[in-house]
Amino acid sequence: MEFPAVLFPSYFGAGPPREEGGPALAAGWGEHGQVLEAGPGRRQAERTFVPRHGRTGESWEPTEAAAVPFLTPSASCWVPSLTPQDILYRSVLHRKLWTGKSRATLDFTRQLGHFFVDHPEDAFGSLGRLLHKNFHLGNSKLRRKARDNTIRMTALMEEIDRLEARRGCPRQYLTSRLRWFSHLSRDWLFEVPLGLLADCVHEELLLQWASLLFDDSPTGGALAWLPPEDVGARMGCLVYPGGQAMNQLYFQDVVLEELPHSRGSPAQFELNGRIWQVSAARVDGEGFVGVRSDYHCGVWRVSGRTGAAPAPLQVIRTSMPASCITVSPHLPGELAVCTQSGSVYLWSVELGLQRLRHDPQTMFFRDHSPWRWSDFTAHPRVLSCADRTGLQCLDARVPERCHFDLFKVGEEAGCRQGERVVLPMYLGRAHPSQHLITTQFSVYVLDERLPLVPVLKWAHMMKAPPLFAHLTPGGPGRSHKLLLGASCTQELLLLQYQGGSRSACQLAGPPQKLHSISSCLEHLPTQLPHRHRLLQQRLSAPAAGLAAVLQEDGQRESLLVFQLSEAGDVFCQRLTHEAVQPPKPTSRDEATTAPGSSPLFEAPASSPLRSGTEGEEEEEEEEEEEQTFYLSNVEVIINEEEEWDASTPVAPQEAEVPQESCASPEPARAVPSPAAALRYRRWLKALSKGCGEPPRHTWPPTLSQKRLFTRKELEVLAVPSALHEQARQRLRQAMQEGGRIQRWDTPDPQPPPLPQPLEPSGSPDPLSARLTAAWSGDWEKWWDERTSFNIAQRQRALRERRRRQKRARGRRSLSASFTSSLTYQSELSELSDVAPTTLSPGQPPVLPREGSPPGSFPVASPAPDEALLSSQSLRCRGIPKERRKTLRDYLSVWAEAPPEPFELPSSQASQLCIPSSQSQLSSASQPRRKRPRMGF
Amino acid sequence: SSHEHKLNFRKSKEECLSYIQDAMLQKQWKRAADFLIFYTESLEKDFSKEYMGPAEMIWRIGTEILCHHSHSSMKEFNSFIEQMKTLGVKRYLKVCLEHAFHLLCNGLIDEAYQNLSLAESWRFGEQTAIQDKEMKLIQAYRGLLDYYSWSKQKTVLLEHGQDGFEDFSVEQEMHSCFRKAAVNLKEIIKIPGVWDLFVKCYVDLLEFYGDHNEARQVLSEYAYNSKFPANPNAHVYLYQFMKRHGESKKSLISALKILHDIVPSHELMIDFNTMLQKSKKRKKRRLGLEVIFAGLDYAGWKENVKAWSCLARQVKQIVISEKHLDWIKQEWNSRKDWWPAFHFSHYLAKRNWQGNESLSYEKALVAGILLGKDCKYFKYVSHQGCKAQVKRFRILKKFVNKHNPAYLRISG
Repeated sequence: MEFPAVLFPSYFGAGPPREEGGPALAAGWGEHGQVLEAGPGRRQAERTFVPRHGRTGESWEPTEAAAVPFLTPSASCWVPSLTPQDILYRSVLHRKLWTGKSRATLDFTRQLGHFFVDHPEDAFGSLGRLLHKNFHLGNSKLRRKARDNTIRMTALMEEIDRLEARRGCPRQYLTSRLRWFSHLSRDWLFEVPLGLLADCVHEELLLQWASLLFDDSPTGGALAWLPPEDVGARMGCLVYPGGQAMNQLYFQDVVLEELPHSRGSPAQFELNGRIWQVSAARVDGEGFVGVRSDYHCGVWRVSGRTGAAPAPLQVIRTSMPASCITVSPHLPGELAVCTQSGSVYLWSVELGLQRLRHDPQTMFFRDHSPWRWSDFTAHPRVLSCADRTGLQCLDARVPERCHFDLFKVGEEAGCRQGERVVLPMYLGRAHPSQHLITTQFSVYVLDERLPLVPVLKWAHMMKAPPLFAHLTPGGPGRSHKLLLGASCTQELLLLQYQGGSRSACQLAGPPQKLHSISSCLEHLPTQLPHRHRLLQQRLSAPAAGLAAVLQEDGQRESLLVFQLSEAGDVFCQRLTHEAVQPPKPTSRDEATTAPGSSPLFEAPASSPLRSGTEGEEEEEEEEEEEQTFYLSNVEVIINEEEEWDASTPVAPQEAEVPQESCASPEPARAVPSPAAALRYRRWLKALSKGCGEPPRHTWPPTLSQKRLFTRKELEVLAVPSALHEQARQRLRQAMQEGGRIQRWDTPDPQPPPLPQPLEPSGSPDPLSARLTAAWSGDWEKWWDERTSFNIAQRQRALRERRRRQKRARGRRSLSASFTSSLTYQSELSELSDVAPTTLSPGQPPVLPREGSPPGSFPVASPAPDEALLSSQSLRCRGIPKERRKTLRDYLSVWAEAPPEPFELPSSQASQLCIPSSQSQLSSASQPRRKRPRMGF
Repeated sequence: SSHEHKLNFRKSKEECLSYIQDAMLQKQWKRAADFLIFYTESLEKDFSKEYMGPAEMIWRIGTEILCHHSHSSMKEFNSFIEQMKTLGVKRYLKVCLEHAFHLLCNGLIDEAYQNLSLAESWRFGEQTAIQDKEMKLIQAYRGLLDYYSWSKQKTVLLEHGQDGFEDFSVEQEMHSCFRKAAVNLKEIIKIPGVWDLFVKCYVDLLEFYGDHNEARQVLSEYAYNSKFPANPNAHVYLYQFMKRHGESKKSLISALKILHDIVPSHELMIDFNTMLQKSKKRKKRRLGLEVIFAGLDYAGWKENVKAWSCLARQVKQIVISEKHLDWIKQEWNSRKDWWPAFHFSHYLAKRNWQGNESLSYEKALVAGILLGKDCKYFKYVSHQGCKAQVKRFRILKKFVNKHNPAYLRISG
């Protein structure tokens, strides 16, 4: 291979980079770099010069308005990945404090709190059990005897609840009780020592945050294209991961047509881990596919014949996560593998693994990243080996002795401070000795024959570092097409360069932005806002891979670009070479498309590079925007059930648009073609079918039924009673009508008669009497009576009441001896943190009511004659006041507890457990049969 | 609120910039130009202390737009750049240099020269390291243009000289051009870097005036100074110079040997091999074999017929003479585990036969000797060759069959 006779001039310095740097948006524009005299063969009188950057390149125009889905979305739903909001600290106070300062604070306490709440057994298990008897959670005051070794936690719990309610309140302060408790228990309460646990959580959070800022695992990309052996065939095989965990490997045959489509069902392999990278090369007519997951790497062979099944060849397991796998373009069955421990292996399917290097340290200066990369070079026995600081080439036959530096982050390549290698790639298909190196700021093309000095350098201006790259070599006299892709921003950039053998390397034409997956959102049929939001989330999932195919069809040349997202979606777009007129381009004023194609609209909402507060604010703005957007578009609502006819012209207005687009210098492609629109619809339909249930956070709050009904009540009767039947029927009817059931107990359509006024038995308490009076409509009469109540009556009533109280007080000391043991109570109160209401299906849902706070009433006191009826009722009546509040829970607890030996009928059981309440105590002489009216 | 105002201003500035960026990346130059008009406002309140200020951005974006905009003219471009030059002292030289490049690429060499001269005379306080470098480049490019006008006058003079007519003014002008060019070019090539263009011109000047020693020194400094990058061209220039001046074979070989050490796949290695093969010394012939084997290790040489025929010839010679079979054996030892798959697979035999018959012939010869007559590549190609009734393939088959013992000695 020839070496250019004259290279562009450049300085060559040594040492660390001197130029200060940061991301600069316009850094790549407007420079010619250097100039050279154009090649020989011209007359000396008129010398011409060529620039290093900025010469004209080929024109590749996208044919569609946006990327088009290539595959139907997988049936399994995608779990969105972590967002900054999940782990960053956010509160009103915080936002106020840090306005204008872009500093992210990890919400460490929240995560720790989540751990305590989600895994209480792991956090406090053993001490919790030990202290079980010493913590009292009920409402009652502790008896003196118990006070010695038991403390009351109720107030503390309430305090914590209040604290939770005041979250975010700037005047939030800890009460002394809480402070006292945390001070007292901090050292011993935790199963794992708090300091240690906190360290671990913090470390993990930092790791998570670092990977949110920049995750290098998907480097290289998990999408690969295997061309067919026969160059002319319009077929090929796309290799990509899928499934909910991205652990399924698919080999899909693809037919290249105007819009590529899959042929047959893909060959599928289930792997033991998430697939990060798929690398492929065709050697000697056979395709070799290397697959990398965290701890496993595998290699498949795909025969050149179409339709042949891919064969798995070998798998290796690594103890440290692998960071790179590349397939040799020279020798069949050879791969390069790197692990995060700093090892580089040459992996031959026949000969096994050969370790070429093991060095946990980086090569040229110290950098903390364990990321390593390796690729092949022009010499099949020489491998390149990279870390964040640069690139070396090693001879596999004598790796210790024979190596040279190909690229160094430093003054040699004119790097900027803080610049790091992101992705190296061997460009052998363009020129056998060329390598691509991308950093977060620039792209470099290096020639092995002239190490350390980039033959091409260009600031790519991408917002996220390019983790994926793809080369489409151009023939002689043509430019090589280089695609760069970023992960979290989904950016896709097309660069062209040429030269390397006869003439020096030159950048050809300005770079060009291609459609990202998320850009198709505006071309999808309009969705309901919540669906739109889900769709937006799905479409703006970080990119996970990139592949491209050059398709030659006589005069017509087109480049098909595939992009894979982390959600497993594969989208494609076609670029055609200028010589060909794009099919039916539609003209629209440039200005009208401007906002739609602006970066503001397509920046994924969950871009992890922004600080939390900023992101949140933007999110709010976005929501507003969305609403207004939808209000203006309410008439278009997609109906999932509707069948989309394939032959229906989707954009009828398109045909009427006159073909004047040729006049416009930049044909704005505002409307997707009918075929693309059909694809969008099909994709959407499959998506809504596959992921019909919305993600968890949009579900309405659910209630556990476990504690609503007792075991007995939930038992299905062998022969359903008439009441059951009736209830069911009504339920069904109500559901069909979409109405609601207002009353259970009146199956007849007649308006229910007014309930019988409660018969005043004995002397009802004033409140009951007043309510009864109000119910029956003669409240005024009651008031008159009340005002004219004579003093004698009052006195008598008072006396009567006092006597009753006295009696009750006397009995309390007695009943206390009959109460169930204290442990039993504490068990109850532990389980009674939720207080669901108990309902029996067959009875009217009248809830027991407690009119006034329980403290203002004396102890339950049934009629004195009843008091001595049986031991059971005694036990029942002996229930102390504090338990009344938790009795409803007790019922539900019963449902969960193993069936007790004395199986009581549910009605009787509930009777036994009724909390004695207001009406009972005031109507001591009330007949017992009335009691079920209290709710059971 | 002034803080807030600054924030808002910054935000809208950034937004505007991203609109511009977006338009440019989609080649919507007109749209980008419209946005750039708004962006110029950012110059008024430039609070940023960032790596790249708005002034530089406007210069870069504006230049790019004017380069691609369908309605832009050179006049507009020049006036825009003149404005940009006044925007800041820090990038004055850079803007001048890029302006000159633009003029050069558009064939406006005189204007470029004026620009460079003007920039050269610019002085502003103490220069930073970067400005120093830029100044040196400006001088070097001016020197280059001086060199071009020198060579133009040289041609004129030579043509006129043939007519027997002498023009002293032209000659004087030519000498002054020489002086100006030489001073500037000499300066830049002292600094470590890749200066192929400047070195070539400077050496041409020196050669014309007969200063061969200086020229040789410049070239060997350029090639062998360890502060300079390992530029293969530096060695090539030196080799070509030596060849031009009829230096000894020995020094030519030593120059190429160094080139071989740094770039074994350089195209000059074929010349080197031929040169070595012709040598009478055993050691050199041995080196020749090494050179050609090393060259064929590279993917870029895989289908290089010349190289394969060089190897085939040398291998054939060795086999016929039956001397130095151990040379082949030694070279083959480090390659026998991967050359068969890399060069001599069945797939390649088919492809080479279809694509390039003489390539397959040379390769088949080498394969037959190195891998024996049962090797897939040899078998396929010789079979096809015999089938197609090509005479040389029949001879090849006979030759390989006859010398099969050599294979056994090489492989054993």
